[in-house]
Order: sequence, then C-alpha cells, then structure tokens
Amino acid sequence: MIKVLFFGPVADRVQMRETQVEYTQGMTLHDVIAHLGMQHPGAFGIVSFIAVNQNQVHDKQTVLHDNDEIAFMAKFSGG
Amino acid sequence: MNNPVRIQEEDFSQDEEINALKASSQRIGGIATFLGCARDFSEGRDVHEISFEAYGSMALAEMNKLRSEAIAKFNLLDARIVHRVTTVRAGDNIVFIAAAAEHRAAAFDGCRWMIDELKQRVPIWKKEITPQGDSWVTPHP
Repeated sequence: MIKVLFFGPVADRVQMRETQVEYTQGMTLHDVIAHLGMQHPGAFGIVSFIAVNQNQVHDKQTVLHDNDEIAFMAKFSGG
Repeated sequence: MNNPVRIQEEDFSQDEEINALKASSQRIGGIATFLGCARDFSEGRDVHEISFEAYGSMALAEMNKLRSEAIAKFNLLDARIVHRVTTVRAGDNIVFIAAAAEHRAAAFDGCRWMIDELKQRVPIWKKEITPQGDSWVTPHP
C-alpha cells in the first residue's frame, strides 16, 4: 500500500488527513495524483510541494515502491 | 531542551536557549536572535488565535538540515531553532532562532537566513482564527 498524507489547506480540501492507495508494480507519482484527483476534483490545485518518504520530489514520473509515504502540501506558512 | 532544533507545543524560554548556546563555546562574541510572535491583527481583520500544523518528521529533518547549512555557510559557532506547533493567542511566542558567531555580522546574517529559509522550506502551516471565520495564511515574503 501507498500511504498518502494531506496537510493544512490541502487536508481541508480533501476533507481527510490520510488515506491509502493500493500499490501496483511500476506505479508512478502521477498515477497516484490521477487516482486521487478523480476522487477529489480541484483539490490538488493548491498543492505546491510533494514529498515521497519526506523528500521533496518534482518529477511526477517518479516510480513508487510499496509502503512509500507521499505527502501533498500547500505553500508553507510557518514562522 | 538540550536539543538545538525542536518542534514543540509548549512555550520556550529565550534565556534558556541563549544560555544553552553560550554554553556550547567560549569563543562566541555575538548572538543574534529572531523571535516570531502572534499578532492580533492581520490583513485587516482581528485575529483571535493562530493554529499551527506541521508535517512533523519532515519539518524537523528540514530544520536540522537548515541549521547545519547555516553553520557551514556563515561560519557560525552554534545555532538553535525552536518552533511551536499548537494554538497560540496574541503575544504568544511562535518561533525562536539564534545564531552564535565570533563576530556580529555572521550572527546577524545567519539568523536572518535561517528564518527566511524556514519560511520557504519547512512544512508548517498556520491558520488564523478570526471573528469572520478561519483561514489558512498565505505566505508572506
């Protein structure tokens, strides 16, 4: 399974903080975004950062592995 | 408290943080600090409370990386970063950053760099609770 986390404004839009997506061989970050985007149309418009296993990634063709953790995040506003 | 980089709910003591910094080296000639605190007014609205949320593990890792980078980049002798993740009211402390160096220029530059980088790189979000409703804060430059 892929663990998916949502934070801050993104969590409000999808109305949850965590979900899971079934892992399939060769799955990419783009596949997860497409899958969740169908369930939550428009929710990903405010996503500015994506992390896989707590490392920021920019390439949506990044190949995922079973038990990966993905986080979808809006622009940060700490401090 | 001894850990120089922390995310915590509870308030912090600037004196204790500075004492810990001073205890790390007797070569320190200057310490620059930044204290971020909660305002009661923002974007034309009264603010009752500010609520913080963080991707804790990633935020802490990024803050540690940021501290190490600052020490190397500005030749600091030590540095501390503490950020609260909780709900605060006007006047409450939010974030404390301190940079210690042999001379003031490096301390000032390092401190400024760390808070600027924290705002851009560390996954923490704040929501303002106002009489008109709640809203996530858009990042300020």
